[in-house]
Amino acid sequence: MNRAMYAAASGMAAQQTQLEIVADNLANADVAGFKGAAATFADVRAGSLGLGTTGVGKHAVFAQGKLVRSGGAFDVAIDGPGFFVVERGGARAYTRNGEFARQSDGMLRNSAGWALSGVRIPADALAVRVERDGRVAIDTPAAKDRTIAHLRLASFASPEALHALGATLFAATDASGRARLFAPGGRDGPALAFGMLERSNVSVIEAMMQILGAQRAYEANAKGVQAADEMLRIANNLHRG
Amino acid sequence: MDGLDWTTSAMRAARAQLDVATHNLANASTDGYRKSAATVALTERGLTVTARATHEQGAVRSTGRAFDLALLGDGAFRVGDDTTRSGAFTRDRDGWLIDDRGRRLHGAHGALRVSEHAKIDADGTVRDGGRVVDRIPLPPGTHLLAGALETSTVNPIGETLAILTAQRAFETAQKTLLAIDATRDKTANDVVRVR
Repeated sequence: MNRAMYAAASGMAAQQTQLEIVADNLANADVAGFKGAAATFADVRAGSLGLGTTGVGKHAVFAQGKLVRSGGAFDVAIDGPGFFVVERGGARAYTRNGEFARQSDGMLRNSAGWALSGVRIPADALAVRVERDGRVAIDTPAAKDRTIAHLRLASFASPEALHALGATLFAATDASGRARLFAPGGRDGPALAFGMLERSNVSVIEAMMQILGAQRAYEANAKGVQAADEMLRIANNLHRG
Repeated sequence: MDGLDWTTSAMRAARAQLDVATHNLANASTDGYRKSAATVALTERGLTVTARATHEQGAVRSTGRAFDLALLGDGAFRVGDDTTRSGAFTRDRDGWLIDDRGRRLHGAHGALRVSEHAKIDADGTVRDGGRVVDRIPLPPGTHLLAGALETSTVNPIGETLAILTAQRAFETAQKTLLAIDATRDKTANDVVRVR
């Protein structure tokens, strides 16, 4: 009965992990550039004896989100793989959230204060544009279509191994490999879409289904613990003094 | 074997059935898991329970990750020295395809090392940059689906029923055991009363 009890308890723990991850996905379903995460489980065995389940990992799913026209004056989206390189206080991070705003110092920053690396907009710029190949152009009273920077994107040998710093922010790790910088807009490569945002790749309907499933599976496992406990009680009543 | 032995074996069998059902239930979210089926057999040593793996195909859910592989049919992936039906693989820094435990996926010619543009065909052929680099061995009739995972075949309702059944069987055996014990109590203490 103890074996059954622990197996059922491991199932409850697994469903709880599943719920936490799906809840986090759902909470960020409206965050631009957010990538949903998925948990992996494996069954635990000792020979032919089943001993329940265990979580073996969690990874972000870097599937492309839909691009939507956002109306933000400095919004950029990546159509294809790759990350924006952002900086804050000397630290460097990577994100697919292209929701930037122009600051008084000329930097394009996101809401957490991370600035798009390599771009500083002159104070006299009237309009700013980002081309699909990463060229940043401005119009000033003196000149039209002046190139001020070329945006480069980062790619990783193993993006799944990136360390999540926040909902949409990642840092390179030993396992992910170093960032390789490349210019977007190549023939088969990713391109930039200006004035657009990438929506999160979380499907709300699928997340709701996962929550319902996890909840029921949790209950069923709890019943398993109860049954094991009940059987122990019955066994205890074998001896009637 | 007398009545006590029989009912004890029945209680053991109920416990074994519970073990199988809870293990199945715990793996309701384990991708690639195929449920165990418990069969109860009547032998001269009482009731015995054997658990065996079933071969029912699990539902397939698409994940959008290129190296998630669902097996349609029998067979398993070779990862390191083990085999698994769980096909959630990612590319590590050096290009090896690894599962979440870090074990490397093997093709016919050893561990697979590919670029991020590699494609895996339904017959297991691994193509990288238009060139065939290896093949994931599959038994005849089995296909691969890339970008998807096979979900667990556990049906929580069926397992909950199995748990209930095991619990009641255990209870019945216990009652029977108590009845036998009561009879023996009578035999020992009441039938022959020595004064």
